[in-house]
Amino acid sequence: MIFRGRLLHPVFGVLVFAGLLLLVGGFQALDAAAALAVKPTQQASPLHPDLFLLDEDGVNVLESGKPVSTMQTCGTCHDTEFIARHSGHSQAGLDTLAPAGETSTGRPWDSSEGIFGKWDPMVYRVLSESGGAELDLGTAGWIQTVGARHVGGGPAAVSRDGTPLKDLPVRADDPETSWLDPESGQVRAWDWDQSGVVEMNCFLCHIAEPDNATRIEALQQGAFGWANTATLLATGLVERRGDSYQWNASAFSPDGTVPAGQLGIQDPVNENCGACHGLVHDQGDDPIVAISCDPSVRRTVTTGQIIGPERLSDSGMNLVGKEDLIRPWDVHAERRVECTDCHYSLNNPVYFQEAESARPEHLTFDPRRLELGEYLVQPLHDLARGPSLTDAVTPEQAGSMRRCDSCHSVESTHDWLPYKDRHLAALSCETCHVPDMYSNAARQVDWTVLRPDSFARGTCRGTGTTVGGQPVITGFQPAWMPRQEPDGTAPLTPHNLVTTWFWVAGDPAQPVRLTELEAAWFEGDEYAPEVIAAMDVNGDGELAEEELQLDTPEKVELIASRLTAAGVEAPRILGEIQPYSIHHTIATDEWAIQDCQVCHGDQSRVTQSFELAAYVPPGAEAAFVGGSTAIASGEIVASADGGLVYQPDIGSQQLYILGHNRVEWVDWLGGMLFVGVLIGIVIHGGLRVLSAMRQRGAAHEPATEPVRMYGVYERLWHWLQTLTIVALLFTGLVIHRPDVFGMFSFRGVVLVHNILAAILVVNAGLSLFYHVTSGEIRQFIPRPVGFFDQAILQAKYYLKGIFHSEPHPFEKTPGKKLNPLQQVTYFGILNVLLPLMILTGILMWGAERWPQFSALIGGLTVLGPVHSGVAWMLAAFIVGHVYLTTTGPKPLSSLQGMMFGTEEVEKGHLETQGGEA
Amino acid sequence: MRRRYVWILGLAVTLALILIPIAILFPKADPPRDNPTAALPVRKPATDHQPLLPGPYASGEEVTRVCLDCHAEEADEVMQSVHWTWESKPYQIPGHDEPVTIGKKNSLNNFCIGIQSNWAGCTSCHAGYGWEDADFDFGDSEKVDCLVCHDNTGTYLKGDAGLPVEGVDLAYVAQSVSWPTRENCGSCHFAGGGGNAVKHGDLDQHLIYPTEDLDVHMGGQDMLCTDCHQTEDHQVRGRAISVSFDQENQALCTDCHSQAPHEDDRINTHLASVACQTCHVPAGGTGDPTKMTWDWSTAGQDRPEDEHEYLKIKGSFFYEGDFTPEYFWYNGISDRYILGDTFDPSQPLNMNPLAGDIDDPDARIFPFKVHRAKQPYDTVYNYLLQPKTFGEGGFWTEFDWDQALRLGSEAVGLPYSGEYGFAATEMYWPLTHTVAPAGQALLCADCHSPDGRLDWQALGYPGDPMEWGVRSPAAPGETAQVSP
Repeated sequence: MIFRGRLLHPVFGVLVFAGLLLLVGGFQALDAAAALAVKPTQQASPLHPDLFLLDEDGVNVLESGKPVSTMQTCGTCHDTEFIARHSGHSQAGLDTLAPAGETSTGRPWDSSEGIFGKWDPMVYRVLSESGGAELDLGTAGWIQTVGARHVGGGPAAVSRDGTPLKDLPVRADDPETSWLDPESGQVRAWDWDQSGVVEMNCFLCHIAEPDNATRIEALQQGAFGWANTATLLATGLVERRGDSYQWNASAFSPDGTVPAGQLGIQDPVNENCGACHGLVHDQGDDPIVAISCDPSVRRTVTTGQIIGPERLSDSGMNLVGKEDLIRPWDVHAERRVECTDCHYSLNNPVYFQEAESARPEHLTFDPRRLELGEYLVQPLHDLARGPSLTDAVTPEQAGSMRRCDSCHSVESTHDWLPYKDRHLAALSCETCHVPDMYSNAARQVDWTVLRPDSFARGTCRGTGTTVGGQPVITGFQPAWMPRQEPDGTAPLTPHNLVTTWFWVAGDPAQPVRLTELEAAWFEGDEYAPEVIAAMDVNGDGELAEEELQLDTPEKVELIASRLTAAGVEAPRILGEIQPYSIHHTIATDEWAIQDCQVCHGDQSRVTQSFELAAYVPPGAEAAFVGGSTAIASGEIVASADGGLVYQPDIGSQQLYILGHNRVEWVDWLGGMLFVGVLIGIVIHGGLRVLSAMRQRGAAHEPATEPVRMYGVYERLWHWLQTLTIVALLFTGLVIHRPDVFGMFSFRGVVLVHNILAAILVVNAGLSLFYHVTSGEIRQFIPRPVGFFDQAILQAKYYLKGIFHSEPHPFEKTPGKKLNPLQQVTYFGILNVLLPLMILTGILMWGAERWPQFSALIGGLTVLGPVHSGVAWMLAAFIVGHVYLTTTGPKPLSSLQGMMFGTEEVEKGHLETQGGEA
Repeated sequence: MRRRYVWILGLAVTLALILIPIAILFPKADPPRDNPTAALPVRKPATDHQPLLPGPYASGEEVTRVCLDCHAEEADEVMQSVHWTWESKPYQIPGHDEPVTIGKKNSLNNFCIGIQSNWAGCTSCHAGYGWEDADFDFGDSEKVDCLVCHDNTGTYLKGDAGLPVEGVDLAYVAQSVSWPTRENCGSCHFAGGGGNAVKHGDLDQHLIYPTEDLDVHMGGQDMLCTDCHQTEDHQVRGRAISVSFDQENQALCTDCHSQAPHEDDRINTHLASVACQTCHVPAGGTGDPTKMTWDWSTAGQDRPEDEHEYLKIKGSFFYEGDFTPEYFWYNGISDRYILGDTFDPSQPLNMNPLAGDIDDPDARIFPFKVHRAKQPYDTVYNYLLQPKTFGEGGFWTEFDWDQALRLGSEAVGLPYSGEYGFAATEMYWPLTHTVAPAGQALLCADCHSPDGRLDWQALGYPGDPMEWGVRSPAAPGETAQVSP
């Protein structure tokens, strides 16, 4: 029963009328179609049939003149009820409603996880519960304010308990049927029959030129039923008449249908998404101009992300260094990857992938999927997404979006990166690939003050002034915070942090209603004289934006008392920090971070502080809002200029960054040991030189004979060991202190260090094999019997005898090359220090390959300082070792032995301890 | 080996054991993809001609006589080049029994149409002196004009019949001779079609002192014309489409740039189907606006005149600057309208049809300025006519088309029926100069978007190749540039 017949005319009249209509209407339709500036119909779906626009009763709108009903119109073919039910955009958290205070955010005034009930500091007004505090936003008020960014349906059509809004009995205490008049502050009933409800607005996303501005106007005026119709204004099918709309019959076909091409029905393109989500600027001749910092313009401002293929250098924004920024705002937008290519409908047969857990191992790809036609009838409007703010709304969809590595080959593009797996585990792709934001973004929203337009005072980050005082956009570097991923990891991800200051009242706390705030700040349309007197700093009788700041206890007290006078109970200031993660505006690889020292250095970006609030109202404290996927592991500290700063703490994430993190006392002790040994040998050697000079006349020249002491292999492995250890110590020092040794390529030094370590391990291993199989190892093992006596004897020689040119206590023979002190030292070096060094080194390298083993020991946080400490000890050993080689009969005797194999050894000793002579 | 020196061997072995693994495993920096400066010609320093040409000189020929004392061979070289002959070698082309030559000497275009009967006016751009009628002696080496290319004062100006104008100090000019600068080449090539920037769309006087934004080679790198149009024995490398059939000895981007110079492999895959110029010359008329249409049929009226809109002698035109080029498949070869060819006047006549299409592996999508004109043709014989515009009896003095066309037809030797009309013609002028810096090259969205520059169906694609796939790869053995 689609057509309800009109009045019957006489047959002749009908014929004439119909004929005229056909003639005139036909021509006019053609004219109208030609005159329309409906833009890209080549994008429009070529398959979509012409359609009737139906009202909520299923009648052609041309007949009834009523607003178009998307549920009825699109529902002719598509299962609109299914769509509206399976759409997070539409439901907006309706099915997560909970008593106030039990949501993941932890705010006592939040009642759901979605925008219907979760407080948005940029909007400020609170959705009231029934039976709760005084009414702020009822459902109607919510539609007028937050509803601008809501697609309709869900809470805009149905009450919290599922009853259609129009069927609700009107009750004074029911926020669903009450409305707070912002002008008068009075609460009155809301007549849903008169205003209509907002059905899910298919047109907003699915036509080429939706008129969002008029739609929002209709919502703000309370003409909810006309909002979806207003969206069609640019198609010429409907015209505006004052507060109402009239269908333009001449724009329809003679049979009452609308050609699908005229509506421009299409898959959503970036601009459709950008209507609410952020500044999307597709190819066009008009350059982008700066986004406003005005928090009432709620798009993009939370992160500064601009999605567009245009080059920054071609934009209309006053960016610092713009000429060199020849990169696009977003490389995916430039390469024509659309929003819906990543945020696809979850049952779209093209993109659908079954979960890894559900797929049997032997199957790499399951081709069985929904037919295209079936999909078109029942497309899920739950869209794929990563973990995000909406996690609590639809937790089952967290991580349903494909990640960067679903499309990009990380392997082939990152083989230049040492410890690649470790980097990829600790950092999200965005950390290095969105290192800088070039636009401005919100920094602080201050609702403790009011601008003349009854909105908060917003402060931006990323703006500045030139030397000449011109405003410029400097952009900013996002904060890196760990972000909880569905797979349990928490890699660092870039975020923008927005601080909000606002008044709360009562217990449980609730943000002070806007009407009460207005009562405190204004008298009539102007600021109250008392307020001006207190806030006017430069005495010009007006309050400029910079003067709107509660920066003294007196100002806070003034506003608090005025709030109390307006009926607010116990007003106080709260601060809230909301993280917004950044995933877009990626550019090509030359814009990514490739310099190791950005993180691996003293000024590491990983621990770089991030500006929070620009100022702190006296007595207020700011805390991170709950329920966010960002893990606020750092600290909020006061900054020198009176604001707040976020200081990351990476220890809580078990992040130990080579070249940045170090245990100071290990370095101090090791350094002191090294220097101590150095001083010791200088003293000892100096004394020896002095005593040699004193004894010049009566010098005791010991008789020596050449002895073949060291074979070829022994010398080879010794010198190989020497060079590799010295090089390892040096490269290790560069890695430990990259800022001091900035001339070296960090990446190259790490690689050389690892190669040398491998050579060392092989050399040591082969040498161990040699020593064991040849029996030489016996020389290194101290004999317990008489050990201490002999050790003391040797020690006495070094401390006294050597200065008197006494003979060595023990003869050095090929069968016994080491005195007890040497044996004990090498025992420690070769069995404790060197293995510790090798083990910690392998596990540090293994943090990349076998992270679980490294984690067992305590991860890099333990391994790193141990490795460094032992390195200091080895370095000190080398100094001592080299010096002690000079204690032979002549200073160079031992060195010659190790170089040439034959050594001059003293003849005729006091004692020969065991072994072969 | 003596024991004493075995330690040297030991040291060598030890160092080798350390350095060889490092050398093998250390990551190598990628070699640069593109090194164009290596291909720039090295110019020998120019000889100072001041003591050699004391002057004074009363005529251009007098200067040439002095040049010939040392450069007689070079004069011969010039006389064998197309700058002198204004005529190509003979080609056998379809539709003609005999081989034909083309060149400014005998071809028609849709700007000033042709030089025959108008020699004295047109030959001010001839590299010679005195070509004022059909009987010019192309064998007289004293008529070679050395100064037009080699003057380095910027004061040399040629007038009718290529003779230096009054007031030019020929001795001063002659003493300055050196390698040709952009101003030398540009004195003629920027002024084609009757004025600055009229004809080509990518050549105008801004290129004498260009900014880097205008042309990255001539501006950013201060390159001369001859750095790309390298000249050996006065044979200038390069091919102009209006006077050439083929690409023999053409100046190419790949003369200096590598085959796959982009870091981004996705861009390199475009090289199989898209010419360098398409992305790197994003607009025509970027220096000065260029003439896009020329309607001769409105000439002769007494209307307000404006150099860029209407002149009584020429008709009405439309100039455009920073225009979006039109894109067609082009493999370097083109056909040409020859004097006397008949055509169907109900359709616009394409005077230089481009060869190449989507199935030709040598063809690339190339940017063009399309010049559309209305010019006189014989309505009985259906061929284009050569009008006499310059000189006695010419249209520019008499404003009588019939007389002009009769005189012109006599000069070229074509019958004229007495009945003339104005036919729509078009010519394709490839854009290859005014290369923008890389930061201003086209982006993906410039073509691959609903309002992109390319009409995919017109090019033969079913749709956007980003979605439909690229055309088939080049046949084996072809020189198509496929990315590595």
